Amino acid sequence: MIWQPLRAAVAIAAAYATPRRQIWAGAALLGLLLLPALRQWLTASMWRHMVLQFPLWMLAGACLAVALPPAARAHVARWNAYGISGLVGVGTVLAVLMVPRVLDLALVSVPIETAKCVALLLAGAALRLSWQAAGLLMQGFFLGNMLPMTTVVGQLYIDSPLRLCNAYLLDDQVRLGTWLISMAGLLALGWLAQVTWMVLRRETPMTQSASQRFDAL
Amino acid sequence: MLRTAFLVSFLALAGYASGSWLTHDFHIWTAEGARRLEVAQQPVPVPSVSVEGPGIAAQTLPALLAQGGGVTLVDFFYTRCKTVCLSLGSSFQQLQVALEADRDAGARVDVRLLSISFDGAHDSPNILQAYASTMQSDPVVWNWVRVPDAAEQQSLLQRLAVVVVPDGRGDFEHNAAFLVLDTRGRLVRVFDLAEQQLALDFARHLAQRGAL
Repeated sequence: MIWQPLRAAVAIAAAYATPRRQIWAGAALLGLLLLPALRQWLTASMWRHMVLQFPLWMLAGACLAVALPPAARAHVARWNAYGISGLVGVGTVLAVLMVPRVLDLALVSVPIETAKCVALLLAGAALRLSWQAAGLLMQGFFLGNMLPMTTVVGQLYIDSPLRLCNAYLLDDQVRLGTWLISMAGLLALGWLAQVTWMVLRRETPMTQSASQRFDAL
Repeated sequence: MLRTAFLVSFLALAGYASGSWLTHDFHIWTAEGARRLEVAQQPVPVPSVSVEGPGIAAQTLPALLAQGGGVTLVDFFYTRCKTVCLSLGSSFQQLQVALEADRDAGARVDVRLLSISFDGAHDSPNILQAYASTMQSDPVVWNWVRVPDAAEQQSLLQRLAVVVVPDGRGDFEHNAAFLVLDTRGRLVRVFDLAEQQLALDFARHLAQRGAL
């Protein structure tokens, strides 16, 4: 019963987010992210650089992935059984981009910044194209690797007495660490809630029919 | 499935390759670590910027470094700094004592100290002079300069990968370190603040090797 409003909200959101609108949103986000002023603001602080700019580029990629026509999508799927390639790609990109040197390099080197943004865009699209195909088991395995890694990196950022990036201050680094850990926790909770919901939804009709049978007796 | 396996191996390989490139074969993780390693592998020539300071006529930095044919230990600082520069200053005082002891012992060790201000707009030669006297620096061993031209100062900081960040409270955070520069005006090694003795020994060794 408690799920009714939630389910309705999800249904409304799904109806509103037509593929066309998603592509427009992705393109608009991409345009915004390319604005030098916004890039400047996002990368001016260490935590915004990693926990805001990174996910926004991924979000743009995820929205634009809808633009892929069905034929191309089928072609991609052949190289992406159970979403394994996609998730391995996303994991690799995020693991490499968590090296502190990347943050400093991205500020001073245009090729590195470009590679970083393209990788995040592709990772977002790959995540979108792989998530459903992966199923709960693969999703759990992926998150079970990524989230602890994020937490450990976050703790390292908090504990380090040294500045890991020349371009950022120590308190900014601590804030980034806190953000990374909170984000990993929230994602874990969100996924578990979703799994619980799916399991419950799957079980509800069965329970109902069971109780009906019980009533009939 | 075979295609997926192929793509996964490719992705893993690409990830390994980029990670290995980024971290110099998994030796370093930070930009500062990379800078120190790269300098040690490939010395960085300083740009020909003009400097001036108390007792030092305006001249280019490479010319100043070439004077006397010794090795120079350099630090970057600014006089209004109340944190890391003070500890750098006291490290330099200890280095000065060690170098004076070398000289008194009759050893011909040609190592000098040079403090370069990155606040050239404020730190005029007079201010540097006043700061130097509070630090009790011996002009034979320890000199102070600024780069008066802002663009030149920027190019020097950039070349030597000295990153200065305003900390929002009116001060600057910077990757303070001991920089070892040779007679030819090249940055040959960067040492951490905790590696004061190592920096001194390295500079002495380099100077003696050069004297031979």
